[in-house]
Amino acid sequence: MIYQPPTGARDLLPIDVAQKRWIEHRLQDVFQCWSYHHIITPTLERLDTLMAGGAVRPETVIQVWDAEEGFLGLRPELTASIARAAATRMVGAIYPQRLYYMANIFRRQSSEQTHGQHEFYQAGVELLGAGSAAADAEIILMLADALTHVGLERWHLVLGDAGLTRSLLWDFPKPLRTKVRAAIARLDRVALETLPLEPVLRERALNLMDLRGEPLEVLQRVSQWTLDDYQRTAAQHLKSVVELLAGHPSVTLDLSLIQTFDYYTGLVFEVVSDSLSGQRVLGQGGRYDQLLGLYHPQAQTIPGIGFSLNVQDLQQVLLGSLPQHLPVSNCLVAADSIEAVAAAFRHAQQMRASEASVRVEVELELRSPSETRTYAQHRHIPQIAWVNAAGSVTIETVSLT
Amino acid sequence: MLTVALPKGALLKDCIRLFQAAGLDFSAFLDSSNRQLQITDPTGVAQALLVRTHDVPVYVEYGQAQLGIAGYDVLQEKKPNVAQVRNLGFGFCRMSVAVKASSPYRSAMELPPHSRVASKFVHCARDYFDRLDLPVEIIPLYGSVELGPITGMSEAIVDLVSTGRTLKDNGLVELEVLYESTARLIAHPRSYRLNTDGLRDWIGRLDGAIAPH
Repeated sequence: MIYQPPTGARDLLPIDVAQKRWIEHRLQDVFQCWSYHHIITPTLERLDTLMAGGAVRPETVIQVWDAEEGFLGLRPELTASIARAAATRMVGAIYPQRLYYMANIFRRQSSEQTHGQHEFYQAGVELLGAGSAAADAEIILMLADALTHVGLERWHLVLGDAGLTRSLLWDFPKPLRTKVRAAIARLDRVALETLPLEPVLRERALNLMDLRGEPLEVLQRVSQWTLDDYQRTAAQHLKSVVELLAGHPSVTLDLSLIQTFDYYTGLVFEVVSDSLSGQRVLGQGGRYDQLLGLYHPQAQTIPGIGFSLNVQDLQQVLLGSLPQHLPVSNCLVAADSIEAVAAAFRHAQQMRASEASVRVEVELELRSPSETRTYAQHRHIPQIAWVNAAGSVTIETVSLT
Repeated sequence: MLTVALPKGALLKDCIRLFQAAGLDFSAFLDSSNRQLQITDPTGVAQALLVRTHDVPVYVEYGQAQLGIAGYDVLQEKKPNVAQVRNLGFGFCRMSVAVKASSPYRSAMELPPHSRVASKFVHCARDYFDRLDLPVEIIPLYGSVELGPITGMSEAIVDLVSTGRTLKDNGLVELEVLYESTARLIAHPRSYRLNTDGLRDWIGRLDGAIAPH
């Protein structure tokens, strides 16, 4: 019998963990510099909590049955959990609340893609209680700071506005609206050409699908459409955000960037890597001004915006600049006889206490001096401390070739 | 550099003519002595991959090709995450249900529940019979589907029909048309959004070459 992890699960061996931590430490530094606080929410949530926002479909959640709690799900993302925690547990908090997380998430892949992975790692932030253009800009600027801090040089930001696009879709007759929305989300121009739409509306749908490009130029194009008050305000808000992002290269405004299911109400965005091996989505996010109300006992809503970065995708893109070796021990402490082992442990402990982040290991097998040297060389340990029963120590420098 | 995935087989000539009209010459694929699967256009601005029809959307979905040409039938069967940017009009055919000419059934609804249906297009067949609310057993085959009813393995088939000649020669009749299919220009969604390698300009150039339909 060979024991294997379930399909889609994987072990992270020490070198994988070292690389993952390298990224996470840098991201965490940025989040803390922007004054965000770490929040930890449960891995298991009630299925209702996960699905309340309408963005999570039950078939994508790995479900767990509990006799008392009913159906629970392994979280497929963190925003629902943080919204629940904020709306129910942080009553009376002073806003804005700036929160960040580093967590694993679980997604069931559809049966077509059984090769897909089930467990992923995300690092992200949520900014609750601020709905201004400045709040939107803070999230994007912090995202840019985080990517710069992990050493990513080239990436694209694709911005959209779920609220504005949804509102532009209201012009379409109800029975066709979901079809138009689905066709635009999938960039299916042929479907738009064949839907039974009046010529004016068809023209509008096709224009909406190609409403992307340099942000201010796109906003200029939108301003020539007949817009209602909400749409004008939304376009103005978007313009303010774009102006605050001035100087950040490679931003595309894409007003066809919508999902068929989501809880986003305003700004939405994706970060796409620009590498030779292809484009990867490194992170995503958006504004959700109605989500917290779904969890609040009095349905009182608080605006929110956040992003999450896909740690494994970052790890793939950054591979060359991540640590390639595990840290080595600074010293090997070896007892010269069985009577000296206690003294060896005492000496090792003294060394650990005397210096910060020093790595000391004790030779456990009472190898001969020459075997001990060979071991130290293989492990690239630069120093051996020989300890005798009387507790006296001889330092030997290992020649590492 | 722009990479285009082109399908081997019936559509290839029309595909090459289309790209030639847009200034990209991949006619080397038509040379019978050619064994190369990846070629660069003589002007060096784009390359093409020669792949099986069902693999075109795979290369485009994963972004190894930014553009590709695939039949609507393939897109319906595989439901890939690609942008369908243009209907090219050529490669016309239809996906149909057919039975033996001697069969008593004259519409798909008349097929008895739990009958067997042979097809290369198992998802299309499954979707269609699910919509009819008729439970059937789908038998996946890789080709010569007509043999299903001839040998008695299945009552019906779901297959592509272009002229109807193959059905007729094998003593089968068409009962229903699931949908009509033509070749589609497909694009990698993210490259389309980001206009990677000037993708939108290329699509604009192809527009001039697409025959009205």
